[in-house]
Amino acid sequence: MKKILIANRGEIALRILRAVQEQGLIAVGVYETPDKEARHIRAADEAIWIGEGPRKDYLNIDKMIWAARKAGADGIHPGYGFLAENPDFPKACEDAGLIFIGPPAKVIHALGNKVIARTIAESAGVPVIPGSENLPYGQEGEERALAFAREHGFPLMLKATAGGGGRGIRKVNNAKELIDQMPLARAEAKAAFNDARLYLEKGVINPKHIEVQVLADSFGHIIHMGTRDCSIQRRNQKLVEIAPALIPDQTLLDNICTAAIKVAQEANYVNAGTVEFLVDEGGHFYFLEMNTRLQVEHTVTEMVTGMDIVRAQIDIAAGKKLKFSQEDVHIRGHAIEMRINAEDPKNNFLPEGGRTITVYNSPGGAGIRLDGIAYQGYVIPQVYDSLLVKLTVHGFTWKEAVERMRRALKGFAIVGPRTTIPFYLNIVNEPDFQKGIFNTSYLDLHPNLFEYKEGDREVAKLARLIATIHHKGFNPFAA
Amino acid sequence: MEHIRPGMDTKDILRRLKEAKGYFITNTARDLSQSDFKNRILLHTDLLAAKPRDAAGYFSLEITGGASVHVDMLRKQVNPFLKLELLRREMPNTLFQTLCRGVNLFGYRPYPENAIRLTVREFAKYVEVWRVFDFLNYIPNMVPVFEEVKKAGKILEPSICFSTGPEHTDEFYVGKVREILDVTGEDIILCIKNHGGLGTPKRLGELVASIKQRFPDLLIHYHGHNTDSNDVPRIAAAILSGAEIVDAADHAFTGFYGPPPVLSVIQTMEAYGIRAAGVSTDAVVETSEALRPERAAYADFESQFKGFDSTVQVHKLPGGATGSSFEQAVKGEFLHLMPQILREELPRVQIELGNWWSVTPGSQILWTTAVNNVLSGERYENASGDLKNLLLGKYGPFPFYRPSEEIYKKAFGTEWKKILKEQGGLAKIEDIDLEKEEATLVERLGRSVTREELVLYLQHPNDAVDFLKFEEEYGQAYVLPPQIWFRKGGFNPGEHLDFVDYTGKSHVIEIGPSYSSENGKQTLYLFVDHHSEVFLLEEEKKAGVEAAVIKLSKEEIASLAKVGDMRAPFAGNVCQIPVKAGQEVKKGELVIVLEAMKMQNPIESQLEGKIDQVFVKLGQAVQVGDKLLTISPL
Repeated sequence: MKKILIANRGEIALRILRAVQEQGLIAVGVYETPDKEARHIRAADEAIWIGEGPRKDYLNIDKMIWAARKAGADGIHPGYGFLAENPDFPKACEDAGLIFIGPPAKVIHALGNKVIARTIAESAGVPVIPGSENLPYGQEGEERALAFAREHGFPLMLKATAGGGGRGIRKVNNAKELIDQMPLARAEAKAAFNDARLYLEKGVINPKHIEVQVLADSFGHIIHMGTRDCSIQRRNQKLVEIAPALIPDQTLLDNICTAAIKVAQEANYVNAGTVEFLVDEGGHFYFLEMNTRLQVEHTVTEMVTGMDIVRAQIDIAAGKKLKFSQEDVHIRGHAIEMRINAEDPKNNFLPEGGRTITVYNSPGGAGIRLDGIAYQGYVIPQVYDSLLVKLTVHGFTWKEAVERMRRALKGFAIVGPRTTIPFYLNIVNEPDFQKGIFNTSYLDLHPNLFEYKEGDREVAKLARLIATIHHKGFNPFAA
Repeated sequence: MEHIRPGMDTKDILRRLKEAKGYFITNTARDLSQSDFKNRILLHTDLLAAKPRDAAGYFSLEITGGASVHVDMLRKQVNPFLKLELLRREMPNTLFQTLCRGVNLFGYRPYPENAIRLTVREFAKYVEVWRVFDFLNYIPNMVPVFEEVKKAGKILEPSICFSTGPEHTDEFYVGKVREILDVTGEDIILCIKNHGGLGTPKRLGELVASIKQRFPDLLIHYHGHNTDSNDVPRIAAAILSGAEIVDAADHAFTGFYGPPPVLSVIQTMEAYGIRAAGVSTDAVVETSEALRPERAAYADFESQFKGFDSTVQVHKLPGGATGSSFEQAVKGEFLHLMPQILREELPRVQIELGNWWSVTPGSQILWTTAVNNVLSGERYENASGDLKNLLLGKYGPFPFYRPSEEIYKKAFGTEWKKILKEQGGLAKIEDIDLEKEEATLVERLGRSVTREELVLYLQHPNDAVDFLKFEEEYGQAYVLPPQIWFRKGGFNPGEHLDFVDYTGKSHVIEIGPSYSSENGKQTLYLFVDHHSEVFLLEEEKKAGVEAAVIKLSKEEIASLAKVGDMRAPFAGNVCQIPVKAGQEVKKGELVIVLEAMKMQNPIESQLEGKIDQVFVKLGQAVQVGDKLLTISPL
């Protein structure tokens, strides 16, 4: 491959094009009209406009193929979100003679279906959370659901078969809730995924969300890159991710990694992927799903392994053998990633779309990695996500990583939108987090994390005063 | 002898003062700031001077009290308590002194007793020496403060205010000292408070001698002003007659109405072979050298009226009020009338109202009355609320004689005797509900408050709230030097402003370009610590627009009031609105109180009716002719 089109936007487009450019390849960006000033377009070697958007052109396979042809690209990286897990996309690439940097269409298709994915895990000998078949419509569905409930007890998770990324999941605590929620969940699944199918799973209480990064080449070599813990979530959306998981039981962690490789093998997996597990308080783990894409939180794994997952993806797609074996993967230290979003945590993480960043200073120094697209003058888009920058830090010990994260968070100066920074500062100052004790109920158990004062830096306040004295020609607070 | 320093027992300090050879000096930086710089000297400047001042060996530094508590919040945006805490950090060896107006505390009218006690308790944590006075020398007005200072174990310094005239005899003052001692006991310092710098050196020497003759063991602290340039001789006379402590200030900042230079006092007394105990002249000189470059930044606040003023012996304006009086004369466009006010009207009003002491808040009453008399052309017309309260005896009894019936008639009408009988006498002020006040403050700020913040709020409610909100918005601005704080005409593009924030972090702000944008806003770039920051500011109103507002004459305002269209008869701040829209009012009922020149002036309804609409808010500044509220007749 010589020229790679990145079929995405935002920070992940930037992340991928960096990997492309540093290998001496040409990176082609695409954009919808609202992104015409976006940073990934400034950084790309070439940029192709694909439509007015918003969002619909980034989801349009034909336009991506057209753009790749127009640019003369020979490979396409889908990033995450948008077309990344749409099996039609690799298919279309193949038909067009383009290399899709990701797993084969049928692998995406199989693992994208929760029920098939479970079957794959089961045949690989990996434990899965007890779950139902797809529930039929109407009364028959209700009866099957109730029968499943009798067998496994409440709480249960009602899930959209086509769901993912934490979406389309409802927890039900009793039979009435189950029956009441089913039609709502169906309607929602239909709206969100254009697929109304539902199934039930046994609820695992206060689990840790542990996942394993795997890499597989087309020669059958599969390695894992250790674990990540993504337990700190808000409504099943990840907020904070760390690597490796802070589970003292090394045998358990080894078993989880081995299980991940088994799943990937069973699925005939190729390229980078993530196998997700729930780990309960008793040390039992269950296969959750396998994500057939690069993930937002891949940076923590890169920090602790020193390996570049995106470059590995490109190599694999180019038909090369993996450059490293399992023995080459060494986990050194600890990494934490936090997503700095232009959102108001106090107001249900409502995005601050439309606001302009008037000041943007970011931290630097040892152990800090930024994957961001914000800059002074950046207007928070109302039509895309509100992620400004992913902050990933590395420390030799967990304590050092937490302290470095605190320093880095304090090193930001973002004026304009509200951000998640003060909320994250509360997390790094919270004793349980500092001790590494957290699971998926972390936010529910620590409601005080949402108590903070939206404070400016002292110098920003004084600068505002100086601006006023200058502007008025006198100090109105001294007159 | 070991130097007197904070933390020593009060009795021990008083003993050391009595046993020491020579005399002691108080550096009255607060009075210097108030008298010669309209109270504007910033904490930043006091911090620059802190180290050498601490090394100078003063008995005390007067750095709080008087009007400074108010002005700290109003014009300097610094917390008066924080100021003391920061100065104490730099000055561990010097007692801090305050000036407290008795029942009027640091304000202009009497406070409820529980507010007084709480305020004294909170300030006593930082302040060792409490100089207390009452403008009528009415001792009961000072008792709650006396008691709290004693309870806190601090040094009590009750004052006798000094003035001149046939009533102001040694006998009278010795009697006042007796009254004080009867209340306080012996462990005090007595202050002779010569706030106008009145009397000759001879007169002061005699007074000190008379008091010393009657009370040989009583420590005397002479406080004077240099308005007539004669305070050093007065100080010398006081010391020679036995005063132990005298007031002076750093020469780099001395002006015309405040204290005289410390060094001049030292040099004068050395000729008599009398030394300033514990004082290092090197440190005194060093302080002024540290201060000298700063003075230019305060040029705007030095008196409009340069030169010593020996006519003070006639007009008797206290040094602390001289600067602000001239400031008002300039703002009120009556500077040309000052000779008439100072030489004729003010002395006349003084005698007519009882020849008591022209010091806060009495000095404001005399001054406002004299100004009103001259400006309105009709003497004692529209008596201010405070003058009425004075006449009713709300501040205390007249020490020598009561004003004439004519004045009572002018103020209260023909029914004056009845009014005086019914309403006369010392103001009885109910204790306030402190918890309720705290709840109100919490609500206004939207956060919990400290006890100190509550105390500030009790002093000056609206100004304290404004200050506390300022702090939230603009931070700890006391770190800015006067060259930034008082800058006029904006900064120059490319100018670098250096300062250290309260956490000790140093910053540099470079003034970047600015331009007008299409939406009527101005965009300004500042390079804050080398990062550019953008500020969107409202375009200032074009000059001249305001000038186009038609000014209403006094007669027009009065006739509008008769039909229920209440306008501001003078410029001031709305300090009370006792009525609401929809409420019925009687003729003569109080509807608004406007504060001007620190005095509260009631505005009364001129007809019976119903409040239609209220146009102003509490604390709002109004200009002559501005709509206040409308009343429709029933």
